[in-house]
Amino acid sequence: MIQTFFDAFLIGLLCIPAVILVGGRQRPLRVLASTLLLIGLLAGTAVAGVCFWRGDRLAIDLSQLTPLPFAVAVDRLSAFFLLLICGVGAAVTLFSHSYIEHHYSGQRRDWLWALLPLFLLSMMLVVTASTAFAFLFGWELMTLFSAGLIVIDGDSERRRHSLYVYLLMMHAGAAAVAAGFFLFLPNAAGLSFASMRTAAALMPAGLRTAIFLLAFIGFGTKAGIVPLHIWLPKAHPIAPSPVSALMSGVMLKTAVYGFVRFGFDFLGGGPDWWGYLVLAAGAVSGVLGVLYAIAEHDLKRLLAYHSVENIGIIYLGLGAALVFRAHNAPVWVALALLAALLHTLNHGLFKSLLFLGAGAVSHAAHTLDIEELGGLLKRMRTTGAAFLVACCSIIGLPIFNGFISEWLTFRSFLAGSALGSMPASVVLPLMAGVLALIGGLAAACFAKVYGVAFLGRPRSAEADHAQEVPFAMRASMVLLAAPCVVIGIAPGFVLRPLSAALQPFLPGTVLPEEAVAIAGVMPWIAAAVLALVFAATAIRRVTRVTATWACGLPGLDSRMQYTSTSFSKPLRRVFSQVYKPDRTLEILPADRPYFPTAISYRSVRTTSFEKSLYRPAVEAIVGTAHRLRRLQTGNIQVYLLYIFMALVALLVFMRFA
Amino acid sequence: MIWLNVAQALLLVAIAPLVRGVIARLKARIQNRRGASVWRPYADLAKLFRKEDLTPPSASIVFRFAPMIVFAATVTAAAFVPVVHGSALLGATGDFILLVYLLALSRFFLSLGAMDGGSSFGGMGASREALVSALAEVPLLLGLVAVAILARTATLAGIVQWTVRQDFTQISAVHALAFAALALVAIAETGRIPVDNPTTHLELTMIHEAMVLEYSGPSLALIEWASAVKLSVLLALLIAVFAPWGMAGGVSVPALALATLAFLLKVFVLALAIAVVESSIAKLRMYLVPDFLGVASALAILAVVFTALMR
Repeated sequence: MIQTFFDAFLIGLLCIPAVILVGGRQRPLRVLASTLLLIGLLAGTAVAGVCFWRGDRLAIDLSQLTPLPFAVAVDRLSAFFLLLICGVGAAVTLFSHSYIEHHYSGQRRDWLWALLPLFLLSMMLVVTASTAFAFLFGWELMTLFSAGLIVIDGDSERRRHSLYVYLLMMHAGAAAVAAGFFLFLPNAAGLSFASMRTAAALMPAGLRTAIFLLAFIGFGTKAGIVPLHIWLPKAHPIAPSPVSALMSGVMLKTAVYGFVRFGFDFLGGGPDWWGYLVLAAGAVSGVLGVLYAIAEHDLKRLLAYHSVENIGIIYLGLGAALVFRAHNAPVWVALALLAALLHTLNHGLFKSLLFLGAGAVSHAAHTLDIEELGGLLKRMRTTGAAFLVACCSIIGLPIFNGFISEWLTFRSFLAGSALGSMPASVVLPLMAGVLALIGGLAAACFAKVYGVAFLGRPRSAEADHAQEVPFAMRASMVLLAAPCVVIGIAPGFVLRPLSAALQPFLPGTVLPEEAVAIAGVMPWIAAAVLALVFAATAIRRVTRVTATWACGLPGLDSRMQYTSTSFSKPLRRVFSQVYKPDRTLEILPADRPYFPTAISYRSVRTTSFEKSLYRPAVEAIVGTAHRLRRLQTGNIQVYLLYIFMALVALLVFMRFA
Repeated sequence: MIWLNVAQALLLVAIAPLVRGVIARLKARIQNRRGASVWRPYADLAKLFRKEDLTPPSASIVFRFAPMIVFAATVTAAAFVPVVHGSALLGATGDFILLVYLLALSRFFLSLGAMDGGSSFGGMGASREALVSALAEVPLLLGLVAVAILARTATLAGIVQWTVRQDFTQISAVHALAFAALALVAIAETGRIPVDNPTTHLELTMIHEAMVLEYSGPSLALIEWASAVKLSVLLALLIAVFAPWGMAGGVSVPALALATLAFLLKVFVLALAIAVVESSIAKLRMYLVPDFLGVASALAILAVVFTALMR
């Protein structure tokens, strides 16, 4: 029954782009197609939910029809990610209903509607594939469709450069993933996941390490761990907001899925240095991601850097799980993996909500520069409330979902001390400090974002005249905000099936008692906080609205407020080693510094990775290419000589090999 | 049992203004002044609750609700600390992380409320508070983690019960380091000298005062009460983790009375320490605060490293 439903759902989704490209010009047909997409995604959410909560398995094998084995299968882990893709996809589609209709027309609109379901389908293929071919096929399509969606927003020189960096990094990552798959070949009967699983157990340690490192780099590129993150703050901000929501909220998570499949399902863990490597990547990504975010005031670029930070938190959990795995502590592996996977879901929810919120802000105030915003909460109540929920969730404040996963991560770090082996029992507890630093800095960053953009006085006429967005946009944001609160208050209903999803590669896993404890205590904390707030509202009070005293001036204006730049100044100063800005101060005329006619000040921050890591690498490659060009003389005699030399070399090789 | 735990939390909430009053009085005495009555903070709160609530025109609903959330989160955090008995109302594994994050919840909304006022001072205070708290979170958590590792438990109640059984004279290096770290954090988190001056109204230096500048009446009362509760929660946390001796073993009335007396005495000692520190050193320049918290972080990291050597 559920299998038929699943088949129908996939076929239905495949038809929608065709309908739109053929008949998208007629508004009723377009509305019909997009409504069908929404219904399809809701049905997909239901299917994935059934598979996730009940543990049903689904499979489709198309190997007869394709040259290489092509099959999909849904187990609990796949269902979990499928749930995320369909659920967030449904909310984003609802948002797009009015967003795309307002902002796009003609061919661009048709292509958006056509590529959106294809992008979603390719991600679904990635998380359900059960052969290497299907996985790589989906992996590649996911990159191409997302790139197509970015192109729709225009192709200026700068955008083209960003897109080029995106495609380049993605293909480098895909190459690593593909190589990781192919390394299974000498030992595996075929490239189906089942045969890879059995082959992995028999492989020599060196080969396993090679596969792990390829997966780490390949999936790390997609996930955006530092220093492979450079595409992320370039590509996410230039996509249409609903697409950014999908890219940041969902697409990055397919990399987490792939990494869990490789690291835990296929390879089943390895030596503990794997774990330390992943922990280091997580710690560096987490801290640098949030520090870069603090210095940004373009809302979408800021959120993109926060994706780097949150991927860092997820990798901290994965790293802890690998360390526990190496020390043979299955209960703690389960706890750390639960933390990482729950944070994957949570980040998918609140980050797509934040990007949709950014879309709503740009829709209403026509800018994403938070220095131009302010006072939006009074003008956009629902958007502002949903955005606040997302802010509280991403910081990891109690009674919101981000807290649960961060708490689980903390708790598994604390358990590291019980391992009793030397590096682990110091490194893991110290990682709790790293996580605390990330949390504190994230709180600072979102106090800035929300305080500057949504509170206080509007800093521009556009922000002053902002109006609440249409119903569909509001509804989609509320749909995403609700699970953030529900998981935050009662996480048990997700944690229980999630621990069951780990059973295939962690036999005998039950819900760890720590997870039971947090699920038990959170409702009481929520009740206590809410009861106290309610009690405080009962205090009798006489409220009077009155202007703030402005030290004798006629009144305060919006320019007297703290700006985003001034808010982050203390932190930027303390962490100036990270930013290393290039500052130029010009005072004109130069010979009269005390009576200048003009002063100009510029502070440019190129991330040091591009400057000191990528640029030398690119220059080395280009330099080598130039040197190799000397071989290409254009003289036919020289080419004949090359061929002759190659022939001789081959003959010599064949003689002695 | 549950009434006892409710009473513990209520005790912390109730004596919070008194602790402030005592510190102010002790400071006055050290500085050769007479000082106000120790009960004055209660009178201040009562007065504020009766006054008008003035709201700036730019303020939104966040401005109105922030003080309530600040108060609610701080009081909920108070329910995690064992005060007179080795148990707490909301004890669970990893509860000290919850406590730290509830304080973060309260701080976040205080910052938002400050920025909603629409004046420059609110943002100034929120920005500085963000700096201090982002850096204070690390030593606060790591200090507690170090003690939790030593006690082989992840609940505050468990730490208390373990520490009570230990010999006071054989206190370990981990405890000394973690206590130093947490004491520095407690100063930073509650905005005392040398990090912030609770009595200042000079815009160049103020942090907490800048944030609450726009508030008045019952809203201000809630915030002031909450920040007093935060001080007592952190003092009670220091006492529970590092000097729980004297806490009641059973639930008999004389034992509890004695334990309450012992607790109040310990709080008085800490209040005296704060008063002496505040009277004898000057406030740090803002950009020296990261160094101050860096020292706390280093101490906390050392404490965690030492736990591995203690086994």
